[in-house]
Amino acid sequence: MNGDRVGASPHRVGGRERVTGQQQYVADIRLDDVLHVKLVTLDCARARIVSIDTTAAEQVPGVRLVMTAAGLPQPVPRFGPQFSDRPVLAVGETKYHGEPVAAVAAETKDAAEEGARLVRVDHDELPAVFTIAAALDPAAPLVQDPEIRPTDPRAGTNVLREHRFGWGDVDAAASSADVIVENTYQFPMVTHFAIEPHGFMVAPDGGGIACWSSIQHPYLLQKMLARILGLPLAKVRVFAPDPGGGFGGKQNPKLEPLLAFIALRTGRPVRLILTLDETFQSVRRTSAEIRVRTGFHADGTLAFQDIASDFLIGAYVDIADRVVSKGSYLAAGPYRVPAARIVARAILSHTTPATAFRGFGNPQVNWARESNIDEGARVLGIDHLEIRLRNLARHGEAFVPGDTPADGDWVQTVRKAAEMIGWRTPLAPGRGRGLAVGLKSGPTTGLSYSTVRLLADGSVLVYSGTSDMGQGARTIFAQIAAEELGVPLDRISVVSGDTSVVPYDQQTSASRSSVLMGTAVLFACRDIQEQVRAMAARLHGLDEANIVVERGMVRLPDRETPIVDVLRSGLGRLGGELIGNGTMRKEEDPGHPLGGTAAFFEFNCTASEVEVDEGTGEVTLVRHVTVGDVGRALNPLQVVGQDEGAAIMGLGHTLMEQIILDETGRIRNLGAIDYRIPTSKDLPLELRSASVENADGPGPYGVKGVSEGALLCVAPAVAAAVTEATGVVIRDLPLTPERVWRALAERPGPAEVSR
Amino acid sequence: MHAFAYARPATLAEALTLLEKHGPDARLLAGGTDLIVGLRQGAIRPAILIDLKRVAELRHVIDEVDGRIAISATAVMAEIENDDRVGRHFPALVEAAHVVGSVQIRNRATLAGNICNGSPAADTAPPLLVYGAVVVVAGLKGTRRVPIDDFIVGSHQVALERGELVTAIELPLPDRRLGAAYLRLTRRHGTDLASITLCCAVDEAGTTRLAYGSVGPRALLFIDESGVLADPGAPAEAKEAILERVFAEARPSPRSIRASPEYRRAMLRVLGARALRSAIERLAGG
Amino acid sequence: MVDTLPIAVTVNGRRRTLEVAVHHTLLDVLRDQLGLTGTKECCVVGECGACTVLVDGSAVNSCLVLAVEADGAEVTTVEGLATDGRLSPLQNAFLEKGAAQCGFCIPGQLMAAQALLAQNPHPTLTDVHEGLAGNLCRCAGYQQITEAVMAAAEAAVR
Repeated sequence: MNGDRVGASPHRVGGRERVTGQQQYVADIRLDDVLHVKLVTLDCARARIVSIDTTAAEQVPGVRLVMTAAGLPQPVPRFGPQFSDRPVLAVGETKYHGEPVAAVAAETKDAAEEGARLVRVDHDELPAVFTIAAALDPAAPLVQDPEIRPTDPRAGTNVLREHRFGWGDVDAAASSADVIVENTYQFPMVTHFAIEPHGFMVAPDGGGIACWSSIQHPYLLQKMLARILGLPLAKVRVFAPDPGGGFGGKQNPKLEPLLAFIALRTGRPVRLILTLDETFQSVRRTSAEIRVRTGFHADGTLAFQDIASDFLIGAYVDIADRVVSKGSYLAAGPYRVPAARIVARAILSHTTPATAFRGFGNPQVNWARESNIDEGARVLGIDHLEIRLRNLARHGEAFVPGDTPADGDWVQTVRKAAEMIGWRTPLAPGRGRGLAVGLKSGPTTGLSYSTVRLLADGSVLVYSGTSDMGQGARTIFAQIAAEELGVPLDRISVVSGDTSVVPYDQQTSASRSSVLMGTAVLFACRDIQEQVRAMAARLHGLDEANIVVERGMVRLPDRETPIVDVLRSGLGRLGGELIGNGTMRKEEDPGHPLGGTAAFFEFNCTASEVEVDEGTGEVTLVRHVTVGDVGRALNPLQVVGQDEGAAIMGLGHTLMEQIILDETGRIRNLGAIDYRIPTSKDLPLELRSASVENADGPGPYGVKGVSEGALLCVAPAVAAAVTEATGVVIRDLPLTPERVWRALAERPGPAEVSR
Repeated sequence: MHAFAYARPATLAEALTLLEKHGPDARLLAGGTDLIVGLRQGAIRPAILIDLKRVAELRHVIDEVDGRIAISATAVMAEIENDDRVGRHFPALVEAAHVVGSVQIRNRATLAGNICNGSPAADTAPPLLVYGAVVVVAGLKGTRRVPIDDFIVGSHQVALERGELVTAIELPLPDRRLGAAYLRLTRRHGTDLASITLCCAVDEAGTTRLAYGSVGPRALLFIDESGVLADPGAPAEAKEAILERVFAEARPSPRSIRASPEYRRAMLRVLGARALRSAIERLAGG
Repeated sequence: MVDTLPIAVTVNGRRRTLEVAVHHTLLDVLRDQLGLTGTKECCVVGECGACTVLVDGSAVNSCLVLAVEADGAEVTTVEGLATDGRLSPLQNAFLEKGAAQCGFCIPGQLMAAQALLAQNPHPTLTDVHEGLAGNLCRCAGYQQITEAVMAAAEAAVR
C-alpha cells in the first residue's frame, strides 16, 4: 500500500481511461437534440463591419439560427478577467484575425459549415497595428475604445498599463559598477497548441443553463456567465471535463457566452468544437521586447539591474496585463541585486488576444536577463556557472527587499544541474554548453475548498474543483487522502468538473494545485481524522486527548488500529459516513505590488549542451538537464513528466515556434502544417531531469508548485550553448536554422578578430 | 469539407471514362494525403472524386519488367521504402520516400500522387529526375510515356491532358554503377515540408546528375558530363564554379514563410556540396 | 445534396454495415456514427496523429481517409486494444511509465506504437522516435511514451 501514498508514483488517476479511449473530453460528450455551431470570421485583422447578409445562410437546409451582434442584448455584453472589454461577438469592427462576427447554428456540422460559408459580411479593412513600434506610434489607431478605461490618462494610447517595480538607487549603483552591459532581446509570439482544440457546449437547464467547457477555471466561467445572463450562480452549472492540455490557454472564458445566448434563443443544446486553426486564433503568449542593462562589479557580483520590457498583448486584454506585471515583478531574478529598476508596459495591438501561458510572462524576462548576465560574464571573463553562484540569493534571504525571502536552497539546485551536465568536463569540438536559472512567483492569492467523504465501507470520495489537464492533480489529491486516511488508491475517487456538486476553487493556474487545493484536501482529511478521534474516544471510553489520529491510523494508549476499522464500529449498523471539509485561503495583501505575496517560488536551473551545424545553422541538443526546487515530490513520476514536458515545450519557442503575421495582420502559419512544435525526433539526444527535495514548501509535506519551472530558462541556456559553440550571440528567438546561419554569416572573420 | 460525389472504378477503362466525362470537375484520389487537405482547406471544390485504389490494372504495385522498375499509381511511400529492388537500384528515391511526412502519411501517400500534386517541394521529384524516370500516362486514346522532366511543368502543374491519368512511374535500371544521395532542409528534425530538396548521383563514367526543388515553381535537373563534379580529386573551386551555375536557376519565393530566398540559395550550395560528396563516397564504397 | 454510400467495415473485430456520406472521413464516421470517440480530432490535416487508427494493420491518419475508402477494411481503434477488459501490454506500459498526461494524444500514440511493434518487434530508440514522429504530444511526454513502447517490446520478448 505504500505504493499509493505520498512520495510514490502510482498509476495516474484517470490513466486507465486515457489508455483505453474512455476518457471523455468535451468533444466526446454527446447531448441529445444538439445544434452544431460554426463561427463566421473574416480573413483580415481589423475591419469595419458594414453589413451582414444572412439570407443565403438561413436558406441552407438544417440551419436554425444565424446569430450576429444585432441578435444579442444591446449593448452587446462584454467580459474578460481583467477588463470587461471582449464583446460576445464583434461589434462594429473586428480587432484581430479570426474574431467571430457571427455564428451559425444548424442541425448538422455540415449545414453549420455551409451556412457559415454563405454568411456575407460586407467589410472594409482598417489601419491596424501588429508590432510594438507601430502600436506606440502617436498616430497609431487605437486598439481599445477609450470608454473601456475612461479615467485612465493612457486611454488615448495603445499602452494599456505601465508597471514599475524596483528598489535601491540604480543611477548611483551605475556610477560604481565596473562593467555595464546593455542589450535588447526579443521573444516571439507563440501559441499553446494544446492537442485538444477548445470546445464548448451550452444547454438550457431548468430556468438556468448548463455549460460544458474544456476550461481550467470552471468557477470563473460560472461567475462570468451568471453576470452576463443575469442568473444566480446556482442556476449556472458548469461541467469541466478534463482539458486535453491547457497550459494557460484554457484559463479564461471565450465563446461560452456566445453559445449561451444561442442556446437560450433556440431553446436547444448547442455545441461548438473549434478547429485547431480557430484555436490558434483564440490564444497566444505575449511576445516581448526587453532591454536589459546590467551593472557588474569586477568580481562578477551584480551592482544593479535596469530592465524595460514592452509586451505586445492582443486586441482584448484577457489576463495579459497581469502576465506583464507578474512576469516582470521578479525580472531582476533570484539574485542579490543592490538596486533594480523594472518598467514593464502592456501594449495593445490588433492581434490574437494574448493570455496566460505556462511561465506567465517569466520565460520572456528570464530569457533576457539570463542572456544579459552571460554577456556580462563574457566581458568579465567569469564562468557562467560561477557568476550565478556568486550572485544567487541564499535560503531565507529577502532578494526582493521587504518581500518573501528565498524559500529554497537554490545554490544546491544549480550545483546539481552543473554536475549532471558535466559542466567542468572537456567539450568536444564544435559543441557548447550553457546554463541558466529561472524564477517565477507562485500564486499571490488562493482560495480552494475541498470536501472529503469517508464512506461506510471505508472507501473515499474527494471533491476538488481543480481541473486535471495532464498535471495529474487528481492523483495527488488521492495520494494525500490515501496517506491521511489509510485507504488504498483503488478505493478512492476524486470528483471534479461540476460546479453544482464540487465546492468552489478559485482556479487551476500558477502551479498552485498541489499546494493550495492539496492543503484543502489535507485539511478535509484532518477534519475527518478529528471526527474519527471523537468516535474512537466514544467507542473506547477514552479522553480524546489520549488518542492520536494520523496517517491512516488511530493510536490508542495501548494499541493502534486503522481509521477504517474505527469508522465501521463507530457508524454501527445504521451506517452513514464521515464528511470532512477543508479550506485553504491565501489572502490578498493590498500593500503588495502584485496584490499578494508569492505562496512559493518556482526555481529551476537548466543546462544544455549543443552541437551546431555551421553549414546550415541547425542546432542539435546533445544533452539537456533540468533541475527544479520542488520542496517535495509527492509523485516523482509526475514531477518528471511536468519537468521534461516543460523543458521540451521550452525548446519549442527556443528553436522553432513563432506565429508569423503578414502585413495586414493575418496569421500566415495557421494550423499544424507551418506552425512547428517539437516532435519525438526533436528531443535532446539525452534529456534528464532531477528534483531538489528539502521539504521546504508551504504545501502538504513540504511541496511547492512544479509545473512551469523547467520551461523558464530553456532559451537562455540553449542560446548560451550556441554562443559557446559558435562565438555568435543571438538575441532573438527562436533560434531557427536560418537565424543561426545568418548570425554565423555575419560573424566577423578570424582576421578581424586578430586585428 | 463540402459534399461531393465519389466513384470507385474497377477497371482503367471505367476510370478513364469517368475522367473524360467530368473533366475538371473531377479529382483523382489515390492516397489522399494532399487531396483531402486541399478539400478541407477549401482550396479545391471538385464535384466528384475518382478513387483509383481499386482499379484492377493498377493493383500490381511494384514490378520489374524489361530493364525497368514500374511503380504503380497506387504504390505508397512505405512500399517503396521497403522494396528491395527499389532500394538496390534507386536508394536516393528510398531516402526521399522515407522523409515524406510521418509513418501514417507514408502508409497512404503515393509516389504518383506526390508527383501529380505538383508541389515544388515534392520530395520524390529530385530523385525521379536524377534517375531519369518515365511517367506512364493513360487516356481513352491510349498510353504515352513522358519523361519526368517533361511531365513536371510548374507549381501544381503537370503535363496531363483532360481525361488522362498516371498509371505508373517507371525507373530504367541504371546501366552503370551509381552513387546517389538525397538531402533536404527542414525547420525541425521531425517531419516537415522541405525548404530545399536535392538529389545527386554520380556514375562510374564521370557523369553527375543533380536535381533540386523547393526553390522555384518546379524541381530542376542538371547533368554535368565534364567529369569535374564526379571527380574525387577535382579542386573544390572548380566544383563550386559548376554548382554555382547549376544553382543560378533557383528562383526561391520571397513570400515563403519557411525560408528566405537568401537562405535557400546558400543552403543549395551547402547541401549540394554535401550530397555530391556523399554520392562520390557511395560510388567508391560500391 | 449529400451523396451517401453503404460500406461494410470490421471495426475492432465487429462487422458493421453503415450508410456514410461520401465526403465524411473515417474519423467522422468512427466518432459521430459509431460513437467511438477514443480516436481524437485535432489538426485534421495529417500532421498531429491524434486520429491515428489501423486500417488493415497500417497506421493511418483517419482524418485523411474517407470513410468510403475503408469499405471492406479492418479498422482497429484504441477501443480495440484491450481484450475482455484486460489492457494490452502496450496500454499497461503506458500506464506504468506515466506516458499519459492530459491523454488527448494517447490513443493516436498507442495506435502508432501498436503498428510499429507489429512490424518491428525489437525497435531501437531511433525506430521508436521515427515511428511516433507523426504523433504530437504537447505535454511532451515523449520520453515516457518512448520508454513505454520499449518496455512493451521487451515484455513481449520475455
